[in-house]
Amino acid sequence: MFERHDTDVLIIGAGGAGLFSALHAKKAAPDLKVTIAVKGLLGKCGCTRMVQGGYNVALGKGDSVERHFMDTIIGGKWLPHQAMAWRLCEQAVVRVRELENEIGCFFDRMPDGSLHQKAFAGQTYDRTVHKGDLTGIEIINRLMEQVLSRDVEKLEEHRALAFIKSKSGDELAGVLFVDMRRGVFRFVRAKSVLMATGGGPTMYRYHTPSGDKSMDGLAMASRLGLPLRDMEMVQFHPTGLLGGEGTRMTGTVLEEGLRGAGGHLLDGNGRRFMFDYDEKGERATRDIVSRAIYDEMRKGHTTPNGGVYIAMSHLGPEDVRKRFKGMVKRCADCGFDLAGGRVEVVPTAHYLMGGVICDPDTRTEIPGLHVAGEDAGGAHGSNRLGGNGVANSTVYGGISGDVMAADVTARGDQSLSGLRDPDEDAIKFEIDRALHPFMKKPGDVHALRRQLMDLMWDDVGVMRTSEGLQRGMDRLKDVRAELLETGLADSETRYNMTWHDWLNLRSLVEMSQVIASAGMWRENSRGAHFREDFPDSGDLESSYFTVARFDETGDLAISREPVDFSIVKPGETLLKDEPETLVGQSN
Amino acid sequence: MENINRKLKVRVWRGTQGDGTFSTYEVPAQESQTILDVVTWIQQYAEPTLAYRFACRVGMCGSCAMNVNGIPRWTCRTHVQKVLEDGELEIAPLRNLPVVKDLVTDMSEFFDKWVGAEGRFHPSATRDDEIAAISPADPKRANANAAIECINCAVCYSACDTIAQNPAYFGPAALNRAWTLQNDERDTAFKSRLETISGRGGCTNCHSHQSCMTYCPNELNPTESIAGLKRMTTRSFLFGGR
Repeated sequence: MFERHDTDVLIIGAGGAGLFSALHAKKAAPDLKVTIAVKGLLGKCGCTRMVQGGYNVALGKGDSVERHFMDTIIGGKWLPHQAMAWRLCEQAVVRVRELENEIGCFFDRMPDGSLHQKAFAGQTYDRTVHKGDLTGIEIINRLMEQVLSRDVEKLEEHRALAFIKSKSGDELAGVLFVDMRRGVFRFVRAKSVLMATGGGPTMYRYHTPSGDKSMDGLAMASRLGLPLRDMEMVQFHPTGLLGGEGTRMTGTVLEEGLRGAGGHLLDGNGRRFMFDYDEKGERATRDIVSRAIYDEMRKGHTTPNGGVYIAMSHLGPEDVRKRFKGMVKRCADCGFDLAGGRVEVVPTAHYLMGGVICDPDTRTEIPGLHVAGEDAGGAHGSNRLGGNGVANSTVYGGISGDVMAADVTARGDQSLSGLRDPDEDAIKFEIDRALHPFMKKPGDVHALRRQLMDLMWDDVGVMRTSEGLQRGMDRLKDVRAELLETGLADSETRYNMTWHDWLNLRSLVEMSQVIASAGMWRENSRGAHFREDFPDSGDLESSYFTVARFDETGDLAISREPVDFSIVKPGETLLKDEPETLVGQSN
Repeated sequence: MENINRKLKVRVWRGTQGDGTFSTYEVPAQESQTILDVVTWIQQYAEPTLAYRFACRVGMCGSCAMNVNGIPRWTCRTHVQKVLEDGELEIAPLRNLPVVKDLVTDMSEFFDKWVGAEGRFHPSATRDDEIAAISPADPKRANANAAIECINCAVCYSACDTIAQNPAYFGPAALNRAWTLQNDERDTAFKSRLETISGRGGCTNCHSHQSCMTYCPNELNPTESIAGLKRMTTRSFLFGGR
């Protein structure tokens, strides 16, 4: 019925968080058996690899951890978990040196050989370390080499299905997977487990994350009854490529720098519209540009595929070709002329700020279960700064490895240093749950996925209202009910992608319900969350974050918790007698 | 422009290693359409159990390479119009790797060889040290930079005739990575790596057919990197060191 497997430290996910966790656990306790299970291939799937911009880190020369922290808090509109944001900024300094000196990354340099740090939106110092505009590939390739050459067990193309608690029910026993290649279920028992599957809001019609992302980790955690925070906070990037129905490249990011360099956004009639919305025009912040484009689209001022255009050619096609070589080539390969023509774009769902509630040591409510990276909520509050995503996953991935290794080797703590017997009934229940679609009449799971993406885009997207959110929740119920009656055409379980499309959709529907409900509860507009019926940001001193939790009967309860201003209060700053911004003064 | 009702005739490999056959599908042509879109259409509308692999969708992860009309390519970044022959496409798994199912290969040996060729950094400093000042104009650094943007998609590995003849050969991607490390002044494994890459499976197996260079979607030149390793090997042989 299923295979059994044991390990000491089990890591789910192989992005920046998962790979760093493995390296740190192995370094802290070389005798421990460390296992990485990943839905795709190690180092290839997930989104750390897709990081274009870079890595925010305060490396002195006028910059400081305090300044990075203040930028993160202000960028997150005072909602971040301050202790987590602080640790992120503080440890980024260590982690970036580790990446260069121990892992072997080589980031771009100035002519004098020092690190080049570039300006990135929303920051008061030019602090973003990078490797051209393909920073993530450098980071993941180097991490991957280090992990592959160590004694770390890898379970590739293993999809996590459920966390399984111990018989006593108060600890975690392990994780149930399906080996996607063989179509075989496998229960992996572990003393400590890291969930680092990487959020990824792919339930929107337009989205940036890789195809393997479907919020499985968050869905699993929520079914375990763990609380999720800030789930209404979905960041949209303003310029995703738009290629028309049925094209995989639709939604992928055309970089921010195009607007920064002077690119124009034009409606379907070729009219420049951004100055109708903001005096900075195309150079306004991500959220403002996303809302402006969305508004134009709602008014019907659209291009043939329903978006707007980005135009660069007035800057001189040759210059554009030189300056944005990667983007121009990417567009050309897909049939679009970015340098000389116009390319259709749309806002696109990019990152989930929300996630599982944890402490700055990556611990969750359940002993033995840790969370790091995009799956963890709190560090970014209502908005993530560009360059803080990869910093977050690598910092907290490393911390989780240290902490799990220490917990597992601690002789004093019997509860965490041994393997625990699982609730066998729970394993059987979860296997049946995964096989559900094989018992149903064949149907069209892809049509349902499109229904989900349309409703989330229309009703739970860039701009929200109470009516829209309610309509979205009603439509979600229909999709969910229909999904449970939709079966697969074939009984094949080996590498059956349509089965996995089905399972992806179930995770996404469950998390969509949470996003919509949390969005309904936040009756103000902060960061990524914009309510047309509550456009004000609300009082900063009484800021709250939303907490979503499923009870044992599967009912979702949302509450509001006050933000703990443990380090700095609204109106205060850690930067005494320092200039507000140092942009352009470094390097 | 395109005739809206035009169909593409697509032959797709179905089965496992050596045990399978091509099936033919008619796929509606679209203006914007990559090979990955064609494969996706077949899975979603015609053949629900068709297996293929992709992740990032935009040429960053190197998961989706396949043989398209006989040539290894990233399917996510290959426009149908660029490769169509008389309205027809033939899509098969990458060569030189075992097939898991349909269009999916087992890439383990590709990564085993990457590690086998010492394709990882051996540090000389720690997280407690400052980051080394290295001029981007330094000739060795320029060598490394020119070859570093590999996404390990195995297109070169699939294109390489030497691997087809000699399965022990590390292949272009692994050796290209070794070359970047031999030019990295922060790395401490120069000598042991040189021994590895000049031994069995190493750079001397390369016959400079240049298929890797011809087909690399990132326009890298592994043939040149391997030539660099050969020069290092020769120099080491003549002078007994670097």
